[in-house]
Amino acid sequence: MNNSVRTALTGAVAGVVFVATVWTSQVSTPLAAQEGGAAAAQGRGRGRQAGPAQPTPRLPDGTVNLGRVPGEKGTWNVPYITNMAMRVVGADGELLPEIVKLQQDQAAARAGGAGRAGGGRGGGRGGSKSEPWIPWMPWSAAVYDYNSINESKYDPEGYCLPPGGPRMMATPYQMEILQLPEHKRIVMIFEGATHVWREIYMDGRTFPSDAELNPTYLGYSIGRWEGDTLVVENKGFNENSWFDYFGHPHTDKMSVVERWTRPNKQTLHYAATVTDPGAYTRPFTVAWDIQLNPASELPEYICQENNRYLNRLEDDFGQPIFGPRPQPGSKPGASPRGTR
Amino acid sequence: MRRLVWIAMVVCALAVPAALQAQFGHPLKGQWSGEWGPKDKPNRLLLNFEWDGKEITGTINPGPSAAVVKAVVFDYSNPSSWGVKITAEGKDASGQPVLISVDGKLENIGAYMKHLHGTWTQGGQKGDFAVTRN
Repeated sequence: MNNSVRTALTGAVAGVVFVATVWTSQVSTPLAAQEGGAAAAQGRGRGRQAGPAQPTPRLPDGTVNLGRVPGEKGTWNVPYITNMAMRVVGADGELLPEIVKLQQDQAAARAGGAGRAGGGRGGGRGGSKSEPWIPWMPWSAAVYDYNSINESKYDPEGYCLPPGGPRMMATPYQMEILQLPEHKRIVMIFEGATHVWREIYMDGRTFPSDAELNPTYLGYSIGRWEGDTLVVENKGFNENSWFDYFGHPHTDKMSVVERWTRPNKQTLHYAATVTDPGAYTRPFTVAWDIQLNPASELPEYICQENNRYLNRLEDDFGQPIFGPRPQPGSKPGASPRGTR
Repeated sequence: MRRLVWIAMVVCALAVPAALQAQFGHPLKGQWSGEWGPKDKPNRLLLNFEWDGKEITGTINPGPSAAVVKAVVFDYSNPSSWGVKITAEGKDASGQPVLISVDGKLENIGAYMKHLHGTWTQGGQKGDFAVTRN
Protein backbone atom coordinates (compact mmCIF):
# COMPACT_ATOMS: atom_id res chain seq x y z
CA MET A 1 0.00 0.00 0.00
CA ASN A 2 1.18 3.46 -0.83
CA ASN A 3 2.54 5.20 2.27
CA SER A 4 0.46 8.31 1.77
CA VAL A 5 -2.71 6.27 1.40
CA ARG A 6 -1.82 4.22 4.48
CA THR A 7 -1.20 7.38 6.49
CA ALA A 8 -4.46 8.88 5.28
CA LEU A 9 -6.34 5.77 6.28
CA THR A 10 -4.65 5.75 9.68
CA GLY A 11 -5.68 9.34 10.14
CA ALA A 12 -9.22 8.50 9.13
CA VAL A 13 -9.41 5.65 11.63
CA ALA A 14 -7.96 7.90 14.32
CA GLY A 15 -10.61 10.46 13.47
CA VAL A 16 -13.41 7.94 13.86
CA VAL A 17 -12.01 6.69 17.16
CA PHE A 18 -11.64 10.24 18.45
CA VAL A 19 -15.17 11.27 17.53
CA ALA A 20 -16.66 8.02 18.80
CA THR A 21 -14.78 8.39 22.09
CA VAL A 22 -15.95 11.94 22.60
CA TRP A 23 -19.50 11.02 21.74
CA THR A 24 -19.53 7.95 23.97
CA SER A 25 -18.16 9.92 26.90
CA GLN A 26 -20.89 12.50 26.41
CA VAL A 27 -23.70 9.98 26.62
CA SER A 28 -22.31 8.05 29.55
CA THR A 29 -21.35 10.78 31.98
CA PRO A 30 -22.39 9.39 35.38
CA LEU A 31 -24.70 12.09 36.62
CA ALA A 32 -28.31 11.86 37.62
CA ALA A 33 -29.70 14.36 35.16
CA GLN A 34 -31.71 11.86 33.17
CA GLU A 35 -33.10 9.48 35.72
CA GLY A 36 -35.14 11.16 38.39
CA GLY A 37 -33.24 14.36 37.87
CA ALA A 38 -34.35 17.90 37.41
CA ALA A 39 -37.71 17.15 35.86
CA ALA A 40 -38.82 15.06 38.79
CA ALA A 41 -37.47 17.57 41.25
CA GLN A 42 -39.44 20.34 39.61
CA GLY A 43 -42.75 18.54 39.73
CA ARG A 44 -42.93 17.59 36.05
CA GLY A 45 -44.48 20.85 35.07
CA ARG A 46 -47.72 20.52 36.96
CA GLY A 47 -49.27 23.91 37.55
CA ARG A 48 -49.75 25.31 41.01
CA GLN A 49 -52.65 27.72 40.97
CA ALA A 50 -51.77 30.52 43.34
CA GLY A 51 -55.05 31.66 44.86
CA PRO A 52 -57.80 33.64 43.15
CA ALA A 53 -57.21 34.94 39.66
CA GLN A 54 -55.34 38.20 39.53
CA PRO A 55 -55.50 40.75 36.70
CA THR A 56 -53.48 40.18 33.57
CA PRO A 57 -50.21 42.07 33.91
CA ARG A 58 -49.29 44.54 31.23
CA LEU A 59 -46.23 46.35 30.00
CA PRO A 60 -46.05 50.17 30.35
CA ASP A 61 -47.39 50.57 26.81
CA GLY A 62 -50.46 48.46 27.65
CA THR A 63 -49.33 45.31 25.83
CA VAL A 64 -50.10 42.10 27.68
CA ASN A 65 -47.06 40.97 29.65
CA LEU A 66 -46.54 37.26 29.03
CA GLY A 67 -43.57 37.13 31.34
CA ARG A 68 -42.67 38.01 34.90
CA VAL A 69 -43.94 41.08 36.65
CA PRO A 70 -40.89 43.27 37.40
CA GLY A 71 -39.55 42.57 40.86
CA GLU A 72 -41.27 39.20 41.13
CA LYS A 73 -40.29 35.63 40.43
CA GLY A 74 -42.30 33.29 38.26
CA THR A 75 -41.93 30.79 35.46
CA TRP A 76 -44.48 28.94 33.39
CA ASN A 77 -44.97 25.31 34.34
CA VAL A 78 -45.30 23.72 30.94
CA PRO A 79 -47.59 20.70 31.32
CA TYR A 80 -46.74 17.14 30.36
CA ILE A 81 -48.96 16.37 27.41
CA THR A 82 -48.05 13.01 26.02
CA ASN A 83 -50.78 12.71 23.42
CA MET A 84 -51.85 15.89 21.67
CA ALA A 85 -54.67 14.08 19.95
CA MET A 86 -56.47 14.32 23.29
CA ARG A 87 -56.15 18.11 23.18
CA VAL A 88 -57.74 18.77 19.82
CA VAL A 89 -60.28 21.58 19.98
CA GLY A 90 -63.03 22.71 17.65
CA ALA A 91 -63.69 26.13 16.19
CA ASP A 92 -65.17 27.17 19.55
CA GLY A 93 -61.88 26.43 21.29
CA GLU A 94 -63.43 23.63 23.31
CA LEU A 95 -62.27 20.01 23.34
CA LEU A 96 -63.95 17.93 20.65
CA PRO A 97 -67.09 16.22 22.02
CA GLU A 98 -65.76 12.78 21.13
CA ILE A 99 -62.65 13.44 23.23
CA VAL A 100 -64.75 14.62 26.16
CA LYS A 101 -66.85 11.46 25.91
CA LEU A 102 -63.74 9.29 25.68
CA GLN A 103 -62.30 10.93 28.77
CA GLN A 104 -65.57 10.43 30.62
CA ASP A 105 -65.63 6.76 29.63
CA GLN A 106 -62.05 6.33 30.76
CA ALA A 107 -62.78 8.03 34.08
CA ALA A 108 -65.80 5.79 34.57
CA ALA A 109 -63.73 2.72 33.77
CA ARG A 110 -61.11 3.76 36.30
CA ALA A 111 -63.78 4.42 38.91
CA GLY A 112 -65.17 0.97 38.19
CA GLY A 113 -61.83 -0.63 38.98
CA ALA A 114 -60.78 -1.25 35.40
CA GLY A 115 -57.48 0.49 35.95
CA ARG A 116 -56.17 2.84 33.33
CA ALA A 117 -58.50 2.55 30.42
CA GLY A 118 -56.53 1.99 27.28
CA GLY A 119 -53.32 1.90 29.25
CA GLY A 120 -50.43 4.28 28.97
CA ARG A 121 -50.12 7.87 29.97
CA GLY A 122 -52.34 10.61 28.68
CA GLY A 123 -55.19 8.72 27.07
CA GLY A 124 -54.67 5.19 25.82
CA ARG A 125 -52.45 3.64 23.15
CA GLY A 126 -54.97 2.34 20.73
CA GLY A 127 -53.13 3.61 17.68
CA SER A 128 -54.62 5.60 14.84
CA LYS A 129 -58.01 3.91 14.95
CA SER A 130 -58.55 5.16 18.50
CA GLU A 131 -58.19 8.75 17.28
CA PRO A 132 -60.55 9.01 14.30
CA TRP A 133 -60.73 12.79 14.62
CA ILE A 134 -57.10 13.07 13.52
CA PRO A 135 -56.99 13.64 9.74
CA TRP A 136 -54.53 10.84 9.04
CA MET A 137 -52.85 10.01 5.80
CA PRO A 138 -52.33 6.25 5.40
CA TRP A 139 -48.60 6.48 6.07
CA SER A 140 -48.91 8.76 9.11
CA ALA A 141 -51.52 6.41 10.58
CA ALA A 142 -49.18 3.46 9.98
CA VAL A 143 -46.23 5.24 11.58
CA TYR A 144 -48.37 6.17 14.56
CA ASP A 145 -49.54 2.57 14.91
CA TYR A 146 -45.90 1.47 14.82
CA ASN A 147 -44.96 3.98 17.52
CA SER A 148 -47.93 2.82 19.58
CA ILE A 149 -46.95 -0.84 19.31
CA ASN A 150 -43.38 -0.24 20.42
CA GLU A 151 -44.44 2.26 23.09
CA SER A 152 -42.52 5.16 21.63
CA LYS A 153 -39.12 3.60 22.08
CA TYR A 154 -37.73 5.65 19.21
CA ASP A 155 -38.98 8.95 20.60
CA PRO A 156 -36.30 11.43 19.51
CA GLU A 157 -36.80 13.47 22.66
CA GLY A 158 -35.58 10.38 24.51
CA TYR A 159 -32.31 10.93 22.65
CA CYS A 160 -32.28 14.46 24.09
CA LEU A 161 -33.11 15.92 20.72
CA PRO A 162 -35.27 19.04 20.94
CA PRO A 163 -39.04 18.84 20.58
CA GLY A 164 -40.44 20.27 17.38
CA GLY A 165 -43.28 22.74 17.07
CA PRO A 166 -46.05 22.64 19.69
CA ARG A 167 -44.34 19.85 21.62
CA MET A 168 -42.11 22.56 23.02
CA MET A 169 -45.16 23.67 24.98
CA ALA A 170 -45.96 20.13 26.11
CA THR A 171 -42.61 19.10 27.52
CA PRO A 172 -42.85 19.29 31.30
CA TYR A 173 -40.28 21.78 32.40
CA GLN A 174 -40.29 25.44 33.23
CA MET A 175 -40.30 28.19 30.68
CA GLU A 176 -39.92 31.92 30.76
CA ILE A 177 -41.03 34.52 28.24
CA LEU A 178 -38.97 37.65 27.77
CA GLN A 179 -40.69 40.42 25.83
CA LEU A 180 -38.19 42.79 24.31
CA PRO A 181 -40.27 45.45 22.54
CA GLU A 182 -37.25 47.69 22.11
CA HIS A 183 -35.63 44.87 20.15
CA LYS A 184 -38.90 43.87 18.46
CA ARG A 185 -38.39 40.30 19.62
CA ILE A 186 -39.85 37.86 22.09
CA VAL A 187 -37.57 35.19 23.51
CA MET A 188 -38.79 32.03 25.18
CA ILE A 189 -36.31 30.17 27.34
CA PHE A 190 -36.93 26.55 28.22
CA GLU A 191 -35.37 24.79 31.17
CA GLY A 192 -35.87 21.34 29.74
CA ALA A 193 -36.15 19.88 26.30
CA THR A 194 -32.41 20.25 25.79
CA HIS A 195 -32.28 23.70 27.34
CA VAL A 196 -33.28 25.53 24.20
CA TRP A 197 -34.76 28.93 23.42
CA ARG A 198 -37.07 30.34 20.83
CA GLU A 199 -36.82 33.67 19.16
CA ILE A 200 -40.00 35.25 17.79
CA TYR A 201 -39.48 38.16 15.46
CA MET A 202 -41.93 40.99 16.08
CA ASP A 203 -40.48 43.44 13.54
CA GLY A 204 -43.00 42.87 10.79
CA ARG A 205 -40.68 40.84 8.63
CA THR A 206 -41.86 38.20 6.20
CA PHE A 207 -40.64 34.63 5.95
CA PRO A 208 -37.46 33.92 4.00
CA SER A 209 -38.02 32.05 0.77
CA ASP A 210 -38.23 28.29 1.01
CA ALA A 211 -34.74 28.08 -0.50
CA GLU A 212 -33.35 30.37 2.20
CA LEU A 213 -35.25 28.83 5.09
CA ASN A 214 -32.94 26.51 7.00
CA PRO A 215 -35.11 23.73 8.46
CA THR A 216 -34.77 23.57 12.24
CA TYR A 217 -36.42 21.84 15.21
CA LEU A 218 -38.31 24.93 16.34
CA GLY A 219 -38.81 26.51 12.95
CA TYR A 220 -38.78 30.18 12.03
CA SER A 221 -41.19 32.28 14.06
CA ILE A 222 -42.81 35.60 13.20
CA GLY A 223 -45.22 37.16 15.68
CA ARG A 224 -47.73 39.97 15.89
CA TRP A 225 -50.30 41.20 18.38
CA GLU A 226 -53.98 40.90 17.55
CA GLY A 227 -55.50 42.79 20.46
CA ASP A 228 -54.42 40.90 23.57
CA THR A 229 -53.49 37.77 21.63
CA LEU A 230 -49.95 37.05 20.52
CA VAL A 231 -50.19 35.32 17.15
CA VAL A 232 -47.05 33.50 16.01
CA GLU A 233 -46.66 31.94 12.59
CA ASN A 234 -44.05 29.22 12.27
CA LYS A 235 -42.59 27.31 9.37
CA GLY A 236 -39.26 25.85 8.37
CA PHE A 237 -39.37 22.76 10.59
CA ASN A 238 -37.04 19.84 10.03
CA GLU A 239 -38.21 16.22 10.26
CA ASN A 240 -36.05 15.25 13.22
CA SER A 241 -38.82 15.36 15.80
CA TRP A 242 -42.19 13.91 16.68
CA PHE A 243 -45.28 15.94 17.31
CA ASP A 244 -45.64 14.41 20.79
CA TYR A 245 -44.49 11.55 23.01
CA PHE A 246 -47.13 9.23 21.59
CA GLY A 247 -45.46 9.54 18.21
CA HIS A 248 -47.68 11.54 15.87
CA PRO A 249 -45.35 12.19 12.97
CA HIS A 250 -44.93 15.40 11.04
CA THR A 251 -43.04 16.46 7.94
CA ASP A 252 -41.03 19.48 6.90
CA LYS A 253 -44.17 20.78 5.22
CA MET A 254 -45.64 21.55 8.63
CA SER A 255 -46.61 25.08 9.50
CA VAL A 256 -48.02 26.12 12.86
CA VAL A 257 -50.00 29.17 13.92
CA GLU A 258 -49.83 29.70 17.68
CA ARG A 259 -52.13 31.93 19.69
CA TRP A 260 -51.10 33.00 23.17
CA THR A 261 -53.32 34.79 25.65
CA ARG A 262 -52.97 35.51 29.36
CA PRO A 263 -56.52 35.63 30.70
CA ASN A 264 -55.20 36.29 34.21
CA LYS A 265 -51.87 36.58 35.92
CA GLN A 266 -51.65 32.89 36.76
CA THR A 267 -52.69 31.45 33.43
CA LEU A 268 -51.31 31.34 29.94
CA HIS A 269 -53.60 29.88 27.30
CA TYR A 270 -51.90 28.22 24.34
CA ALA A 271 -53.50 27.17 21.08
CA ALA A 272 -51.69 25.86 18.00
CA THR A 273 -53.20 25.18 14.60
CA VAL A 274 -51.14 22.62 12.75
CA THR A 275 -51.16 22.42 8.97
CA ASP A 276 -49.06 19.61 7.54
CA PRO A 277 -50.04 18.56 4.03
CA GLY A 278 -47.28 15.97 4.15
CA ALA A 279 -48.83 14.00 7.01
CA TYR A 280 -52.43 15.11 7.61
CA THR A 281 -55.26 15.78 5.22
CA ARG A 282 -56.46 18.96 6.91
CA PRO A 283 -55.40 21.34 9.68
CA PHE A 284 -56.30 20.76 13.31
CA THR A 285 -55.93 22.80 16.47
CA VAL A 286 -54.67 21.76 19.89
CA ALA A 287 -54.96 23.89 23.01
CA TRP A 288 -54.25 23.87 26.74
CA ASP A 289 -53.52 26.11 29.70
CA ILE A 290 -50.13 26.67 31.28
CA GLN A 291 -49.95 27.68 34.92
CA LEU A 292 -47.62 30.17 36.52
CA ASN A 293 -45.28 28.98 39.23
CA PRO A 294 -44.94 32.31 41.08
CA ALA A 295 -42.13 31.22 43.37
CA SER A 296 -39.87 29.80 40.69
CA GLU A 297 -36.85 30.87 38.72
CA LEU A 298 -35.39 28.89 35.84
CA PRO A 299 -33.18 26.06 37.10
CA GLU A 300 -30.51 24.35 35.04
CA TYR A 301 -31.31 21.07 33.42
CA ILE A 302 -29.05 19.40 30.90
CA CYS A 303 -30.70 16.56 29.04
CA GLN A 304 -27.58 15.45 27.24
CA GLU A 305 -25.82 14.33 30.40
CA ASN A 306 -26.09 10.73 31.46
CA ASN A 307 -28.72 9.74 28.94
CA ARG A 308 -28.58 6.05 29.85
CA TYR A 309 -31.68 5.41 27.81
CA LEU A 310 -29.59 5.55 24.66
CA ASN A 311 -27.40 2.65 25.67
CA ARG A 312 -30.41 0.53 26.49
CA LEU A 313 -32.14 1.21 23.21
CA GLU A 314 -32.37 -1.65 20.72
CA ASP A 315 -33.74 -1.58 17.21
CA ASP A 316 -36.42 -3.90 15.85
CA PHE A 317 -33.81 -6.62 15.37
CA GLY A 318 -32.63 -6.50 18.97
CA GLN A 319 -29.39 -4.72 18.10
CA PRO A 320 -28.20 -1.81 20.24
CA ILE A 321 -28.66 1.44 18.38
CA PHE A 322 -26.13 3.48 20.31
CA GLY A 323 -24.65 1.25 22.99
CA PRO A 324 -22.03 -1.45 22.69
CA ARG A 325 -22.77 -4.34 20.35
CA PRO A 326 -23.15 -7.85 21.85
CA GLN A 327 -19.96 -9.88 21.90
CA PRO A 328 -19.78 -12.91 19.60
CA GLY A 329 -21.24 -15.92 21.34
CA SER A 330 -23.57 -13.94 23.60
CA LYS A 331 -27.28 -14.75 23.65
CA PRO A 332 -29.18 -13.42 20.64
CA GLY A 333 -30.99 -10.20 21.45
CA ALA A 334 -29.26 -9.91 24.81
CA SER A 335 -27.28 -6.72 24.61
CA PRO A 336 -24.81 -6.02 27.40
CA ARG A 337 -27.17 -3.51 28.95
CA GLY A 338 -30.40 -5.30 27.97
CA THR A 339 -33.51 -3.31 27.20
CA ARG A 340 -36.28 -5.64 28.05
CA MET B 1 0.53 14.62 3.23
CA ARG B 2 -0.37 16.19 6.55
CA ARG B 3 -3.10 18.07 4.79
CA LEU B 4 -4.52 14.81 3.45
CA VAL B 5 -4.61 13.36 6.97
CA TRP B 6 -6.43 16.42 8.28
CA ILE B 7 -8.96 16.24 5.48
CA ALA B 8 -9.55 12.56 6.22
CA MET B 9 -10.03 13.30 9.92
CA VAL B 10 -12.43 16.16 9.27
CA VAL B 11 -14.45 14.01 6.88
CA CYS B 12 -14.70 11.27 9.50
CA ALA B 13 -15.62 13.75 12.24
CA LEU B 14 -18.44 15.05 10.09
CA ALA B 15 -19.53 11.60 8.98
CA VAL B 16 -20.24 10.18 12.45
CA PRO B 17 -22.80 12.80 13.55
CA ALA B 18 -24.32 12.74 10.05
CA ALA B 19 -24.92 9.04 10.40
CA LEU B 20 -26.90 9.77 13.56
CA GLN B 21 -29.18 12.29 11.92
CA ALA B 22 -32.77 11.40 12.59
CA GLN B 23 -35.48 11.58 10.00
CA PHE B 24 -38.97 11.00 11.27
CA GLY B 25 -41.04 12.18 8.33
CA HIS B 26 -42.20 9.73 5.69
CA PRO B 27 -40.11 6.60 6.35
CA LEU B 28 -39.20 6.03 2.69
CA LYS B 29 -38.01 9.60 2.14
CA GLY B 30 -34.28 10.08 1.84
CA GLN B 31 -31.25 8.38 0.38
CA TRP B 32 -30.68 4.63 0.56
CA SER B 33 -27.70 2.56 -0.46
CA GLY B 34 -27.00 -1.14 -0.87
CA GLU B 35 -26.93 -3.70 -3.64
CA TRP B 36 -28.89 -6.31 -5.54
CA GLY B 37 -28.07 -9.49 -7.42
CA PRO B 38 -25.64 -12.31 -6.76
CA LYS B 39 -23.35 -11.86 -3.75
CA ASP B 40 -20.23 -12.56 -5.81
CA LYS B 41 -21.17 -9.98 -8.40
CA PRO B 42 -23.53 -7.49 -6.79
CA ASN B 43 -24.96 -4.42 -8.44
CA ARG B 44 -24.58 -1.27 -6.40
CA LEU B 45 -27.74 0.64 -5.58
CA LEU B 46 -28.33 4.24 -4.60
CA LEU B 47 -31.96 5.21 -4.20
CA ASN B 48 -33.31 8.72 -3.68
CA PHE B 49 -36.90 9.17 -2.61
CA GLU B 50 -38.94 12.31 -2.04
CA TRP B 51 -42.41 12.70 -0.54
CA ASP B 52 -44.50 15.66 -1.68
CA GLY B 53 -47.58 14.87 0.37
CA LYS B 54 -49.28 13.06 -2.49
CA GLU B 55 -46.81 10.63 -3.96
CA ILE B 56 -43.33 9.25 -3.68
CA THR B 57 -41.01 10.30 -6.46
CA GLY B 58 -37.44 9.23 -6.87
CA THR B 59 -34.43 8.09 -8.77
CA ILE B 60 -32.47 4.86 -8.82
CA ASN B 61 -28.74 5.27 -9.25
CA PRO B 62 -28.68 8.97 -10.12
CA GLY B 63 -26.49 9.81 -13.08
CA PRO B 64 -26.51 9.24 -16.83
CA SER B 65 -28.07 5.80 -16.48
CA ALA B 66 -30.54 6.73 -13.76
CA ALA B 67 -33.90 5.02 -13.55
CA VAL B 68 -36.93 7.12 -12.74
CA VAL B 69 -39.42 5.86 -10.19
CA LYS B 70 -42.86 5.64 -11.77
CA ALA B 71 -44.95 4.30 -8.92
CA VAL B 72 -44.66 3.24 -5.30
CA VAL B 73 -47.38 1.25 -3.56
CA PHE B 74 -47.41 0.53 0.16
CA ASP B 75 -49.03 -2.20 2.19
CA TYR B 76 -49.41 -1.00 5.78
CA SER B 77 -51.20 -4.08 7.09
CA ASN B 78 -48.19 -4.86 9.30
CA PRO B 79 -47.10 -1.54 10.87
CA SER B 80 -43.67 -2.95 11.73
CA SER B 81 -42.93 -4.31 8.25
CA TRP B 82 -44.45 -2.35 5.42
CA GLY B 83 -44.82 -3.91 2.02
CA VAL B 84 -43.31 -1.69 -0.67
CA LYS B 85 -43.69 -2.22 -4.43
CA ILE B 86 -41.69 0.09 -6.65
CA THR B 87 -41.91 0.38 -10.40
CA ALA B 88 -39.22 2.28 -12.25
CA GLU B 89 -38.04 2.77 -15.78
CA GLY B 90 -34.35 2.71 -16.65
CA LYS B 91 -32.14 1.96 -19.61
CA ASP B 92 -30.03 -1.04 -20.37
CA ALA B 93 -26.43 -0.96 -21.65
CA SER B 94 -27.64 -0.33 -25.19
CA GLY B 95 -29.85 2.53 -24.10
CA GLN B 96 -33.08 0.60 -24.51
CA PRO B 97 -35.82 1.12 -21.88
CA VAL B 98 -35.86 -1.49 -19.17
CA LEU B 99 -38.50 -2.00 -16.53
CA ILE B 100 -37.45 -2.30 -12.89
CA SER B 101 -39.82 -3.96 -10.48
CA VAL B 102 -39.11 -4.04 -6.76
CA ASP B 103 -41.04 -6.05 -4.21
CA GLY B 104 -39.73 -5.32 -0.75
CA LYS B 105 -40.26 -4.97 2.96
CA LEU B 106 -39.50 -1.76 4.83
CA GLU B 107 -38.33 -2.60 8.37
CA ASN B 108 -36.79 -0.97 11.40
CA ILE B 109 -39.09 1.89 10.49
CA GLY B 110 -38.52 3.98 13.59
CA ALA B 111 -34.76 3.56 13.91
CA TYR B 112 -32.03 5.55 12.23
CA MET B 113 -30.99 2.49 10.23
CA LYS B 114 -34.10 1.70 8.26
CA HIS B 115 -33.92 -1.37 6.04
CA LEU B 116 -35.58 -2.10 2.72
CA HIS B 117 -35.05 -5.57 1.27
CA GLY B 118 -36.74 -8.06 -1.01
CA THR B 119 -36.69 -9.02 -4.66
CA TRP B 120 -35.29 -6.87 -7.46
CA THR B 121 -36.28 -7.54 -11.05
CA GLN B 122 -34.59 -5.61 -13.80
CA GLY B 123 -35.22 -6.61 -17.38
CA GLY B 124 -34.65 -10.34 -17.54
CA GLN B 125 -32.66 -10.47 -14.31
CA LYS B 126 -33.97 -11.14 -10.86
CA GLY B 127 -32.28 -11.26 -7.47
CA ASP B 128 -32.38 -10.27 -3.84
CA PHE B 129 -31.74 -6.69 -2.82
CA ALA B 130 -31.07 -4.90 0.43
CA VAL B 131 -30.61 -1.20 1.04
CA THR B 132 -30.15 0.82 4.22
CA ARG B 133 -31.15 4.41 4.68
CA ASN B 134 -28.10 6.64 4.77
